[in-house]
Amino acid sequence: MGHPFLRDGVDFGDVILVLVIVVISFVLCLVATMLMVWFERKVVSRLQNRIGPNIAGPFGLFQTLADGIKLFFKEDLIPERADRKVFQLAPYLSLIPAFLMFTLVPIAGDFSNVSESGTAGTSTIAGREFLWQGADIPVGILFFLAMSSLGIYGIMLAGWSSGSKYPLLGSVRASAQAISYEAALGLSIAAVILVSGALSTNEIVQSQSGSLRQLNIVATGFVPFIVFLIAGTAELNRPPFDLVEAEQEIVGGYHTEYSSIRFALFFLAEFMNTVTMGGLIVTLFLGGPAPLFDLPLIDVMPTLGWFAGFLLFFGKLLIFLFIFVWFRATLPRLRYDQLMDLGWKALIPVSLLWLLILGGIRIAQNGDLGIVENTNANVAIVLVASLALGAVGWLLLRAAMDNAREERLEEAGFQLIAVPPQQLDGHADSSTSGASH
Amino acid sequence: MAQYLPLAALLVLAALFAFLSFVGSALLAPRRSTEQKSAPYECGIIPGREPPQRFPVRFYLVAMLFIVFDIEIVFLYPWAMVHGDVGLFGLIAVLIFSAMVFESFVYLISKGALDWGPLQINQRQSEMVDASRTATSTIRKVGLEGRYEHAPAKTAAASASDELDETASAA
Amino acid sequence: MMELIVFVISAAIVLGGALGVILFRNPVHAALSLIASFFGVAVLFVSQEAHFLALVQVVVYGGAIVVLFLFVIMLLGVDREEDITEEPFEGQRVSALVSGVLIFAMLMAGIFLSGRTGDDAGDFGPAAISGSSGQVVPLTEEQDVVQLGHDLFTRNILAFEATGLLLTIATVGAVVLVRNRGAEDLVVDEPGTSSR
Repeated sequence: MGHPFLRDGVDFGDVILVLVIVVISFVLCLVATMLMVWFERKVVSRLQNRIGPNIAGPFGLFQTLADGIKLFFKEDLIPERADRKVFQLAPYLSLIPAFLMFTLVPIAGDFSNVSESGTAGTSTIAGREFLWQGADIPVGILFFLAMSSLGIYGIMLAGWSSGSKYPLLGSVRASAQAISYEAALGLSIAAVILVSGALSTNEIVQSQSGSLRQLNIVATGFVPFIVFLIAGTAELNRPPFDLVEAEQEIVGGYHTEYSSIRFALFFLAEFMNTVTMGGLIVTLFLGGPAPLFDLPLIDVMPTLGWFAGFLLFFGKLLIFLFIFVWFRATLPRLRYDQLMDLGWKALIPVSLLWLLILGGIRIAQNGDLGIVENTNANVAIVLVASLALGAVGWLLLRAAMDNAREERLEEAGFQLIAVPPQQLDGHADSSTSGASH
Repeated sequence: MAQYLPLAALLVLAALFAFLSFVGSALLAPRRSTEQKSAPYECGIIPGREPPQRFPVRFYLVAMLFIVFDIEIVFLYPWAMVHGDVGLFGLIAVLIFSAMVFESFVYLISKGALDWGPLQINQRQSEMVDASRTATSTIRKVGLEGRYEHAPAKTAAASASDELDETASAA
Repeated sequence: MMELIVFVISAAIVLGGALGVILFRNPVHAALSLIASFFGVAVLFVSQEAHFLALVQVVVYGGAIVVLFLFVIMLLGVDREEDITEEPFEGQRVSALVSGVLIFAMLMAGIFLSGRTGDDAGDFGPAAISGSSGQVVPLTEEQDVVQLGHDLFTRNILAFEATGLLLTIATVGAVVLVRNRGAEDLVVDEPGTSSR
C-alpha cells in the first residue's frame, strides 16, 4: 500500500523522490489541461464544420498558452459590492482540489500478470520503488469524493461573494446540481468497491488486470458505468449539464464577475477536472493502465512495461475525453427540472438498487445465502427478489410523484375532478397527457 | 501517514501557483478601475433590482436529502468492503437501512421537494378560452415591475396561473 | 517527531477554525472557518491511521453538512453581518455560558474520572479518550475500513439501523420546518418584494 518506498521511515532520498513526483504531476497536470482545452476547441470546431485554433504553434497547439498569457495582461476587477476576502479565496478553493484529485489517477505502470509477477504497477529508480501516480493513499477513491465536495465551495462562494445577481443564481444552481449528482457518483463507486474489494486506485486497477471479464465495466454490469459517466459529466458542469454557466440565462454564471487571471484559474480547474474525471472513469471501469488482454507489446519491451501501461491509459483516456467533447457538440442543455429529475428520480434509485442486487448476487455466488443448496438457484432467488424490490420501489416512487403533483395542483387552486366521459370529447388527448406527466 | 506527503506538497505547490499568478497579474495588468467597471454586471443596463436575498426552500430540502444519501453511502462503503464476510446477515442489515433511507426519499418527493419549475397543466378549464386571461397572464410573466403604479386587479384565473409560475423565476 | 509536527499544525487549524466560527460576524465566513476546522480534524484522523474516518469527516461534515448550513444562510438571507448587540431570545448568553461550562466539565470528568470497567473496556468509552488505560488498540494488518465494516455489521448492528431511523426522523423534521413557513416563502425574487 502506498508508495512502497514510504512504508518505513523517510530518508533524504525519499523526500527528493517525492518532490520529483510532485513536480512532475504538477507539470503534467498543467500540460494535460492545456492540451485538453486545445483538443476540445479543435474537436468542437471540426464537429461544427469550422477549423478552430490554427495560428499559435503547430495545429494551434499553443493557443491555450497564448490565451493564458493574454489574461495576465487583463485588468483584474473586484466588484465594489463583493466580499473581497471570499472573492479572492474562491479561485484557490476551486483550483487546489482539482490538482489534488489528479494525483489519484494511475497514468502508467506495468499491470500485466499482476498475480504472477506481483509487480503491481511499480517501477524502480535508484533502488527505490514508486508508482506512476502522484499519491496512492489507502482510501484513494474516497479522497476523490472528498475533493469534489470541497470543490463545490469554490463555485458556491465565488458566486455568493460577487454580490451580484447572475453569479449568485449560478452558484446556487451549481451547488444544488453538484450535490444532486454526487450521491449517484458515490453509489456507482460503491459498486466498483464491491467488485474490486479495494479502495485505493492502484488496487482497483490491479483487480481488473487479466481478462476482459475482470474489467469493472463488465463485472459491475454496465449500469454503474453509465451512471458514473452521466453523473460525472454533471459534476463537471459540462454540457448538457452546464446550467451553471448558461450564457443565455445567467451570463457566465458563478464567474461572471471574475476577470483576468482569477477567471483563468476557474477555467483551468474546470478543464483539469475534465481530464481527471476521464482518467477516473478509465481507472474505475476500464482498468487504467492494465492491459485489456495479453498484450504482446509488454513482452517486446519488458523494461519499458510502464510505457506500455501509459499508452494503454492514454488511449482509453482519449476515448472519454472525446466523448465529453462529443456531448458538448451534440446535446442541447437540459432544463433545470429535467436535470434534477434525472439525478434524483432516475440515477440515484437505479444505482442504489443495482448495488444491492450486485451485493446479493455476489453473496449468493459465495454460497453464503444458504436458502437452497444450489448456488445457481440462490442467484435466481436473488434476481427474483430484486425484481420484486425494484417493482415495489418504482411503485412507491410513482405514488410519491403523483401525490406531490396533486398537492401542488390543489395549492394552485385546481381540483382534480373525475370528468364524466361525455365531456371529454375533443380534449381527451390533452387531459390524459396532463395527468400522466 | 507518509503516503499523504505528496498530497501536502502538491497542495502547497498549487496554492503557490495560484498565488504567484495573482502576483504576476497584479504586476502586469493595468489598473484603471472606474465606477462603471466595478458595478455589478447587468448586461449594460443600470441595476434596478437588488440581487435576490432569499432562495427557494427546495434547495434546503435537496441539501437535506443529500446528507441522508451521503450518510447512506458512507455506510455502504464498509459493507462493500466486507460483504463477503458478513454474508446474508449484512445484506439484510443493509437492505433494512436502505429501505429506511429510501422511505425518507419517497417522503420528501411526495412532499414536492424535488418538483422544480412551473406545474405543467394541459387540461383546459372551459370550452372557450377567455381572452383577457391570456393577455394578463402573458404580461405578468414578462413582469409588470416599474410599468404601473398599481398592478391591475387580477382575475381569478390569472392569480391561479401566477402561483403556477412561482418557481419559474427561481429555477 | 513527524507526528508531533502534524499534530501541532492540524490542532492549530482546528482551534483557529473553531475560533473563527464564533468570532466572525458574517455567517458565511463562520461557515468557511468551520470547514477549515473539519479539515484539521480530518488530518488528525489521518495521523491516527484512521484513513476512512478522515475522508468521511471531509465528505460528510466538510461537504454535505456545511453545504446545508450555507444553503440555510442563503435561504434565510442572513448572509450579511449580524447585529449581535441584541439577544435573539432572552437569557441566551447566560444559558450559553452555563451549558458551555457544563459540557466542558462533562468532558473533563469523562477524561479524568473514567476507569476501566471490563476486560475489553479499553477500546471503548471514556478510557479510550484519555488513554488512561495506557493501552492503544493494536492496529491489525486490516485496513481501518474493513475493521469498521466488521464492527458495524456484527456488534454495532443496532446502532447502524438506529442511524437509518434517525435520518428518517431528520427528514421528517426538515419537511415540517419547511411546510410551516407557508406558501409565500417559496417565492423568491418576486417583483416588488425586494427593497431598493
